Amino acid sequence: MVQIYNDYKEHADFLTVYVREAHPTDEWQMKSNVKDDVCYAQPKNLVQRVAIANDFITRFKYPIAFGIDDINNAAEAAYSAWPERLYVIDESGHIAYRGGMGPFHYDPQEVRAWLAARYGEVKHDAPTAAPAPTTSPTT
Amino acid sequence: MPLFWKWTIAVLLVILLATFLLLCKMAGGPKDVYGMVRYALPHMHSGKLKVGDDAPDVRLVALDGSDHFHIRERTGGRPLVLIFGSYT
Repeated sequence: MVQIYNDYKEHADFLTVYVREAHPTDEWQMKSNVKDDVCYAQPKNLVQRVAIANDFITRFKYPIAFGIDDINNAAEAAYSAWPERLYVIDESGHIAYRGGMGPFHYDPQEVRAWLAARYGEVKHDAPTAAPAPTTSPTT
Repeated sequence: MPLFWKWTIAVLLVILLATFLLLCKMAGGPKDVYGMVRYALPHMHSGKLKVGDDAPDVRLVALDGSDHFHIRERTGGRPLVLIFGSYT
């Protein structure tokens, strides 16, 4: 998504919403989380959730605007967003694109296609400063 | 046991095995099947939102942990791409 953001940030706004962890250590932890040193228990309060979000931002120098779902998971519920999902909201506040449920139907290229249909194909060189994280929300 | 029931049980076992193997392939392994069934599937919902619906407004917390803002504060002038996800 970072590449799409870099390509289309002159035309559209982007907002990342950090929701409940998908693979915390106390639930369904994946081997890849251990390999990538991304090991966190599921936050039990907002302070813990904010801390993990800040770790993510710091580690990957994540450039996209960021908001954190409150501990009541209101955003997750409103958008059926867990574990990962993409939407586009148009200028009038309506859903213009609704991505499929992640991870199997999470497809950033559909967002790129939506943006390209409106603004034309845009492709800048990939940034080289920060390593690309292997986990959402930047997949 | 009648032959019919033997075949029925055998077919059911084959279906169960095939389902388990498919889940193993999707999730990564037998342990991951448990994780997926126990922790993931109950929280995965397609939802009722569809293209054309009003986008729900939700209050989010800023990275400093104390400020808040609403998704609708970020809409209006240009399209807004919403990216939901987590670290792990």
